[in-house]
Amino acid sequence: METTFISLLHGFEVALQPANLWYAFLGCLVGTLVGVLPGIGPLSGISILLPVTFGLNATQAVIMLAGIYYGSQYGGSTTSILMRIPGEASSVMTCIDGNAMAKKGRAGAALCIAAVGSWIAGTFGIIMLTLIAPPLATLALRFGPPEYTALLVLGLIFLAYMSSTSLVRTLLMACLGLMLGMIGIDNMTGHFRYSFDLAELGDGIGIVPVAVGLFGLGEILATPSHKVVGEVITPKLRELLPNRQEWREAAMPIARGSVLGFIIGIIPGSAHIISSFLSYALEKKVSKHPEQFGKGAVAGVAGPESANNSASTGAFVPMLALGIPTGPITAVLIGALMVHGVSVGPQLVSEHPDVFWGFVASMYVGNLMLLALNLPLVGIFVSVLRIPYTYLYPMIIMFCIIGVYEVSHSIVDVWIMLIMGVLGYGLRKFSFDPAPLVLGLVIAPIFEQSLRQSLIMSNGNYLIFLSRPIALGLVIVSAVLLTLSAISFVLKRKDWRAKLAEAETAES
Amino acid sequence: MNLRSDHVGGGAFVGFGVLVLALSGDLPTGQLSMPGAGFLPKLIAAFTIIFGLALFFRARESEPLSTLGWSDGKHAALVIAITAAATALYTSLGFITTMMLMMIGLLVIVERRNVLRAALYSVCTVMVTYAVFVLVLKAPLLTGPLGF
Repeated sequence: METTFISLLHGFEVALQPANLWYAFLGCLVGTLVGVLPGIGPLSGISILLPVTFGLNATQAVIMLAGIYYGSQYGGSTTSILMRIPGEASSVMTCIDGNAMAKKGRAGAALCIAAVGSWIAGTFGIIMLTLIAPPLATLALRFGPPEYTALLVLGLIFLAYMSSTSLVRTLLMACLGLMLGMIGIDNMTGHFRYSFDLAELGDGIGIVPVAVGLFGLGEILATPSHKVVGEVITPKLRELLPNRQEWREAAMPIARGSVLGFIIGIIPGSAHIISSFLSYALEKKVSKHPEQFGKGAVAGVAGPESANNSASTGAFVPMLALGIPTGPITAVLIGALMVHGVSVGPQLVSEHPDVFWGFVASMYVGNLMLLALNLPLVGIFVSVLRIPYTYLYPMIIMFCIIGVYEVSHSIVDVWIMLIMGVLGYGLRKFSFDPAPLVLGLVIAPIFEQSLRQSLIMSNGNYLIFLSRPIALGLVIVSAVLLTLSAISFVLKRKDWRAKLAEAETAES
Repeated sequence: MNLRSDHVGGGAFVGFGVLVLALSGDLPTGQLSMPGAGFLPKLIAAFTIIFGLALFFRARESEPLSTLGWSDGKHAALVIAITAAATALYTSLGFITTMMLMMIGLLVIVERRNVLRAALYSVCTVMVTYAVFVLVLKAPLLTGPLGF
């Protein structure tokens, strides 16, 4: 514990350097804007701005990109409350009661509760991250190829289990991602795979064109401008503070949302989205006045907003401690660090303490910045919301092209982005969630290498995954999850995931 | 048989899996004790076919194909066509010219906006972006034959 505290102090030394403070501020500001603007999510925001970080060092790059991620969770609530349009997928639940509060003249209070709840949850998440990640990384140093293989399989099965679409759909998306991840030179034998004599495909398909295409361009293709209409409710600054009763009603939902969000954040999947749905359901269940939900219940804003912020921080635990992405956003962040020559994994804490602890400390500072940014500058964000979507999306497409091209100065990447945009549009039409595809793409090289190494180690004996305690434990958890899914698949029984999917469909 | 969305989705994935297997013909599978470059791709392709079939055979739970809304299809096709044209011209015309043309195209052809207003907006946006990237972020953007 003492070592953690000393290391954290060192992290603050790094994070409080003027240049790092500036990049944290820039990340938070851009993140808030990304969250505020409908049609552009944190993933496309991070992907588009990735090339901008190439001139920075690894610490500054990850500080800025992570700022965009957690900043977007703050910003998403502004659009939800003032326009009843989710600026970001995780803010869908905030639309319901947040906008109802705004219509009652309590827009300022709703924004304030969302911001303070986000700050408390974010800070709670960072404290937990500070305490959990270093010991988890130490434990992960004992992992060999079989443990990594079992862990990655568990990650994919967890993702499929947690997904609100069906298990089969999620696994199909993950398979597609794994397949795309195998394009290019095989690292172990030097064979070219599916590169069709294109030199650019020799290095494989990058995560940025795939992510920007699926989530940035795909979203634009599926959103005709006439569908993005909404009236902006302008809050009065003097009415920004909630009254005592509203604070009292918000306190426990914030606490519950923080804990729930962090736990869900660690689990693979679109944690920040799932956590807000579960938090809303939980608050409605424990409330003494469930009939108020949908009509402006304070808990309906405080719980989900706290949960999605805590979840976005929780997602950093497996990323930093194990080097395993739990979702597409952390996958892009891992990619960003790799571009800077920093390999993420258990060795990150010991080999790059400046990056690890500087990043953790910057999140404490970033959360404070966001609290200061979101409330006084709400008027500016409201002005941004008045830009018609018709004029906004051509600009987003321009940034998509710049972002993708600048990563490796390859026009093939831009074509891949376009193809992925069309694929993303088609997948949405047929109710497939593209997130597991990106995750599959990122883990493909690690998964393939660890699986093949495990088989070589055991002379082709699959029992290696059952003969080592950690790997066995992970395999058992995977088997339990698969069995649970299979039971509901065979019996066609509606479990909590099916109910969550119904709620998502109804609200989005 | 009433064609449903998962018939198409599942069928497409089965077809994709078969295509990958066909393309993997020359990749060595190796042995379990020494897996080759084709080992995992073939395994994943087999899983894709199995999951695709599962989706296909449970397709009656999905919505009928005819009920899928394609009202945004024209918008999507136009946006893709204009963006594809911009991608084709990007390396030869450079950032400023290509992006201006693309934005004007999107605003005038897709959104039916006034040409002058669209041109003014596009020129301003592209120039500001160029200045931010080149002067502030020091990230050079592609130049065209005229040097910009």
